[in-house]
Amino acid sequence: MEMLQELALPCLYAFAAGIGFSVVFNVRGVGMLICACGGGLGWLCYLLSAPVVQSDIMQSFLAAMLISAWSEIMARLRKCPVTSYLVIALFPLVPGGGIYYSMRYAMNGDVQGFMNELMHTLGLAGALAVGVLLVSSLVRVVNARRQERQRPTS
Amino acid sequence: MELDYDKLLCLTAEIGYQLMESGAEIYRVEESMNRLLEAYGVTTGEVFAIPNCIIASLTTATGHALTQIRRMKAHGTDVDQLERYNDLCRRLCREAPPIEQALALVAETARQRRQWSLPTQLAGYFLGCGAFALFFGGNGRDMLCGGLCGVVIGLCMYFTAHWGANPFFRTIAASAVSALCAEILTAVGLGAHLDQIIIGALMALVPGIALTNAMRDVMAGDMVSGISKVAEALLIGGAIALGTALSLGMFHMLAGG
Repeated sequence: MEMLQELALPCLYAFAAGIGFSVVFNVRGVGMLICACGGGLGWLCYLLSAPVVQSDIMQSFLAAMLISAWSEIMARLRKCPVTSYLVIALFPLVPGGGIYYSMRYAMNGDVQGFMNELMHTLGLAGALAVGVLLVSSLVRVVNARRQERQRPTS
Repeated sequence: MELDYDKLLCLTAEIGYQLMESGAEIYRVEESMNRLLEAYGVTTGEVFAIPNCIIASLTTATGHALTQIRRMKAHGTDVDQLERYNDLCRRLCREAPPIEQALALVAETARQRRQWSLPTQLAGYFLGCGAFALFFGGNGRDMLCGGLCGVVIGLCMYFTAHWGANPFFRTIAASAVSALCAEILTAVGLGAHLDQIIIGALMALVPGIALTNAMRDVMAGDMVSGISKVAEALLIGGAIALGTALSLGMFHMLAGG
């Protein structure tokens, strides 16, 4: 029961937030579900990988990779641009809290805390970016190879 | 029939412009325009795009050079529009209909633009921000407050867009108003955790899209676009912090805290 609360509820919240932001960015139909599921799955990966890697930057990285892979697959299936699904599914991982807490430290004149929090925020953003970059680059390489193989026959 | 190069160039630039306006990455814009030119049999076309400018150029069969430049204004992300123009572009590349017909199809797509009404969008802001307030550890009352602050952000973004304000000013204004709203809601006793409410509402402003798109551009080799979008993401992050700090500072000064 406790596990359910710790794992399922945050993912459910991430899912609901995904639906909300799908409306804001004008995603329609099945796309909304795909975005929201991506967000929920990503957060599940983040939570489940916590005991293994024990660093929220690494957790973000893994979750970003999973979300990226999920969006690439879904985009291929529906023949849509990947960005549509990617950006909304990534929302729960974006370090909005980091920006806010750094600002609070800066306001209180706590330079040390501010620098720590800022570096941590940048680290999280970097992990997110590298995770997405890795998967997208892989997909591009695979695609390019497949097109190369198809070209002589067509 | 002789190919009308002027119209083809207009068509290409228009498709590129519309794709970029709905939030496509640079490489998608360039690739789509290149494919379109190739579909009409122009192999001497060159396309160059950066976040605020699109240049399309081609040389006709008689050796005449034509160029069109489209300046891009600040724009948001409209996924539905992006998917429709992407589909349209694929279709044009596949079928290569006569140019008049293709231009009519583009105009038709622009006319059929579907957008949620303002109340529906605000409901989206409410759900998204409220869910994030819960997600960051707030309780049910925080969700309500986060949602309300999200609605305030939505209204703020809507009106500042109509006034033609620039994105940084809009972000500062929206985050300041929403933080003030969160302070008031907490002061009257509706919200329990100020931090969670503010962070939940701020999620509607964070530059996640700019950052992700920037990375995809860098990966595709468009360094200029990638770096300018990273700079945009950092500036927006700074604008969020500035707006929130402004509002929190003012509130504490006035409340004597």
